[in-house]
Amino acid sequence: MMYIGAETMISPMGASTEENWKSMLANRSAIGWVDQVGLHHEKLPLARFDALTTDRRFHSLVFDCLQAVSQAIDASLLWHASTQVIVSATKGAVDDHLDRPFDGVMHPLQKAFDLKRLPLIVSNACISGVQAINIADELVAAGEAEHVIVIAADLASQFVINGFQSLYAISDKPCAPFDIARKGITLGEAAAGVVVSRNRGIFKEEPLSLLAGYSSNDANHISGPSRTGEGLVRAVRRTMARHQKQAADLDLLSVHGTATQYNDEMEAIAINRLGLQNLPLLSLKGYFGHTLGAAGVLETVATMQMLRHGVQLKSLGFEKLGTSQPLNVLANNKVKEFNCFLKTASGFGGGNAALMVEKI
Amino acid sequence: MIKITGYCHITDLLCAVNGKILLQPSPDSEHSWFRQIYNFADIQYPKFHKMDALAQAGVLGVELIRLFAARPMDFQDEGVDLVFANRYASAATDRRFQASYADHMSPSPAIFVYTLPNIITGEIAILKKWYGENTFVVMPEFDPGFFTSYIQRHIARGCEAVIGGWVQIDEENTEVFIFLAEPIPAEPIPAEPIQADDGAVRLGVRELLEIYQQHLS
Repeated sequence: MMYIGAETMISPMGASTEENWKSMLANRSAIGWVDQVGLHHEKLPLARFDALTTDRRFHSLVFDCLQAVSQAIDASLLWHASTQVIVSATKGAVDDHLDRPFDGVMHPLQKAFDLKRLPLIVSNACISGVQAINIADELVAAGEAEHVIVIAADLASQFVINGFQSLYAISDKPCAPFDIARKGITLGEAAAGVVVSRNRGIFKEEPLSLLAGYSSNDANHISGPSRTGEGLVRAVRRTMARHQKQAADLDLLSVHGTATQYNDEMEAIAINRLGLQNLPLLSLKGYFGHTLGAAGVLETVATMQMLRHGVQLKSLGFEKLGTSQPLNVLANNKVKEFNCFLKTASGFGGGNAALMVEKI
Repeated sequence: MIKITGYCHITDLLCAVNGKILLQPSPDSEHSWFRQIYNFADIQYPKFHKMDALAQAGVLGVELIRLFAARPMDFQDEGVDLVFANRYASAATDRRFQASYADHMSPSPAIFVYTLPNIITGEIAILKKWYGENTFVVMPEFDPGFFTSYIQRHIARGCEAVIGGWVQIDEENTEVFIFLAEPIPAEPIPAEPIQADDGAVRLGVRELLEIYQQHLS
């Protein structure tokens, strides 16, 4: 069995998984208003840290998160020859070190933690996080690493704010995934980490079971979602088939749900093609904003808390369905012991990725 | 047995397939070096002209291997996984995007959509209508061990081919090395002999590094 655990979240809502979970359970959001941050100096909703200094912010997030994860396992594993660290991020330190956005999390990270192997950086747009966990599973399954620590982080940098504003993709209100009045994304920043291993004994808290999956490209457009959801359908179908899971085996869909018109519509089409439209579904973007390369890990970790605590949280920002196909979007928190969830992500470049987590 | 059945280099000095130089940049040309290669290979793909250099390198690499290493690449649509790497992600395009908003406060969406390194895999997927897995990783230098084990893992789980490589392109330097890896029956079927001189190379860490180093150091 492949285990996933030692999960950690650092977001504007808190520096620990416990703090974040407490806020999520109360349906609080990390999204607030930031003055003068838009292209025309307007204020925008953003889920942004305010306590960190600007220098080395990306690096410090990754370092802090790795530190926190190491405290949830046998910490000596960090410097084992068979431990691999994977960093998942899209833009890294782009605002501070545009020409070498990831150099600070290669050799300096290796040195600081005395890692035997150079960290591997996965930069695959918004599917980076889900894919990084799937790659972790791949490495452990193939015997290339005994334990893989996945750390995901990204910042709501001026660079990405300008970029998404140039595409008219940023909402002027906090994002409302799948809602009829959705107007686009709200950017967020966060870090999150997990450990993937076949050794149950390394985890201080009982881990969960990782049912790793696949990714699939839409082969359609680099910045627009497929109108048929083709890549997402293929990624989910292959992931479920790999573990012989049917719709009835799944209890919750923790989807991408960016709150752009096209993304949410694409997901609704794909979910209906997959026959999963009756399952409870949520997007976590209303809690954390869109955290880009951190999203896949952050949202997997957040959904793992729901599995652990037996609560399915409401999809924050959602009131009335705004997709052409039916979905069972969670409108309220639901106390319910459950067994298994599916996590999906989709992103620029046409990527889609999926994985599942279930109780042991 | 897995073989590298075709590979392509593009540097500032040359363009080569399976080690053999096809073209060198003409200093008199009105076209960019990548456009010269595109014209030379007689590729007809108008989308090429809107792409950034990383994505153009990906399209050129795949097309050059198809044309000049004579690999048909008629794989099933989920049969090919793509894996590319470099050191500075999309930094060269990031700089252009930053300049678009720093200088005239009108950030260019057409540039922004290329400010992710994995767009190269998306453009190849679109070109070939391939729905397989795509991955982009960042590493300080070309790591033949990483690619060799990725190829082995993915072919072991049923992939018909892995296409990938190293694509580090900036103002000073062009380092492009793209390969096609396929499982080849160990004992060639007599009707279709695997020619010793077809340029194919048995996959191994040392072999992959050797062919990379034919035109890159």
